[in-house]
Amino acid sequence: MIGVYREFEGCMRLAAYVLRRLGVLALPPVSEALTRQIYFTGASATTGMVLRGAFIGTLIIAYVIDVLDANAALAVKMLIWVVLREIGPLIAAVLVIQRSGTAVATELALMQISGEVASLRRMRIDPRDYLVVPRVVGIALSTAALTFYVQVIAVGGGMLLSALSLDTSLAELAGEFFQLVSPVDFVYSVIKSLMFGAAIALLCCYHGLHPPGTSINAVPKAAINAVTQSTLLVMLLNVIFAYLVFGQAFFGLVTAKL
Amino acid sequence: MNREDPAVRSDRSPPTARLLALVYEPVSEGAEGAVRIPAGGGRCLEGLSEFRVSRLLSAVLDVMPEIGWRLVLFGADVDALGPEKREALRARVAVLPSTGGLLSSLNAWENMVLPLGMHRPLDLPRATRDIHDCLGDLRVPAGELLKKLPESMSRYEKILTAYVRILLEQPDLVLSENLHQGLDAQQRDVVARFPEVYEARCPGGTFAILSAVAPGWRDS
Repeated sequence: MIGVYREFEGCMRLAAYVLRRLGVLALPPVSEALTRQIYFTGASATTGMVLRGAFIGTLIIAYVIDVLDANAALAVKMLIWVVLREIGPLIAAVLVIQRSGTAVATELALMQISGEVASLRRMRIDPRDYLVVPRVVGIALSTAALTFYVQVIAVGGGMLLSALSLDTSLAELAGEFFQLVSPVDFVYSVIKSLMFGAAIALLCCYHGLHPPGTSINAVPKAAINAVTQSTLLVMLLNVIFAYLVFGQAFFGLVTAKL
Repeated sequence: MNREDPAVRSDRSPPTARLLALVYEPVSEGAEGAVRIPAGGGRCLEGLSEFRVSRLLSAVLDVMPEIGWRLVLFGADVDALGPEKREALRARVAVLPSTGGLLSSLNAWENMVLPLGMHRPLDLPRATRDIHDCLGDLRVPAGELLKKLPESMSRYEKILTAYVRILLEQPDLVLSENLHQGLDAQQRDVVARFPEVYEARCPGGTFAILSAVAPGWRDS
């Protein structure tokens, strides 16, 4: 219990430090690290994300049409409620945890164990400035961008499948979609995905910089801690967001009395 | 900023004006293990145990002596200073580790300019010129070194990279661990020129080698 509290307190302190020190992003080595992180998380992961996004979008719509015997209006509503608001940011976050979260936690744990973090201190560079700030900002921005890709591809794929399966045209579905969707849906998913990205990066950086030991065995342990806790935190944040914004959580199973 | 305060003054006045660059000694008189590094030139402190070198470097890097010890940097007793002045003193000291202490994800050139870019506005053309000048002073061709990642560097190349990185920052005091082990004769010749090149580029600065054995290096 004390360990959990210490980790929570450490992550909160790290988050406060990152917020205070955003100005270091203007320094050339830090901005270069930011660019590398955005490229790694946001750009080089795109192909895999697009394929998975299209697969998930079409799968959900296929189930809705088949199981619920849906019409065009219900299919579009499902796309907005499920894919746009919930599944898009969640899938992007899970893929970021799998790909970048593990990489960040492992890299930082290795740097800590091999003495590179101490070398930074020896050069009078705060490791949090050079290692944590660009990773948190880079992963947060990249998660928002990846969420957007997943949403576009999943919704596009879902509508295409609906047009093929239901007695309706793609233009009609698109018209209905733009009628039902509101700016709140986009703002909600952008803010949520930024939060997801920042939370994932903070936890992974924290565990990377605090590996549970000084031997090489501590590296996979740090990665495991980072991934499991990031996944839990993302799920928790998702529930809190859904409840705060739409008054419901767990896809409507918990509803706020407004 | 008060330029008279030894904690923030960074002028390299002649050695006679500042007798000792560093004093690390036990508070109680008569106890053994005191280290005194005179200011100016290249110094070799022989006969220090590895334990004592490690304690001294920790104290200097943290600007915090161990309990029962006193650390005086450039005439200022650090115990009497606040955090800001300690930080200002720390900025005047660099440590050259025997392993180089490079970041594995950056190539040699990026490693060299990293602290410069983090501490002050980076003038890239000037930094590039300075790096080539430093290597030229050591009579070492830059060649492929600047593009190399630490994983493909020899220990000698790592030490060279770390040394150039320190020269770019122009500290007033460089504390160097014993660098000779594992180097061939030609590489040892280059490393032996470190204090001389440092002195030429940072007149009045102090280059101290903390070592149990350091062949060929004596007070200059």
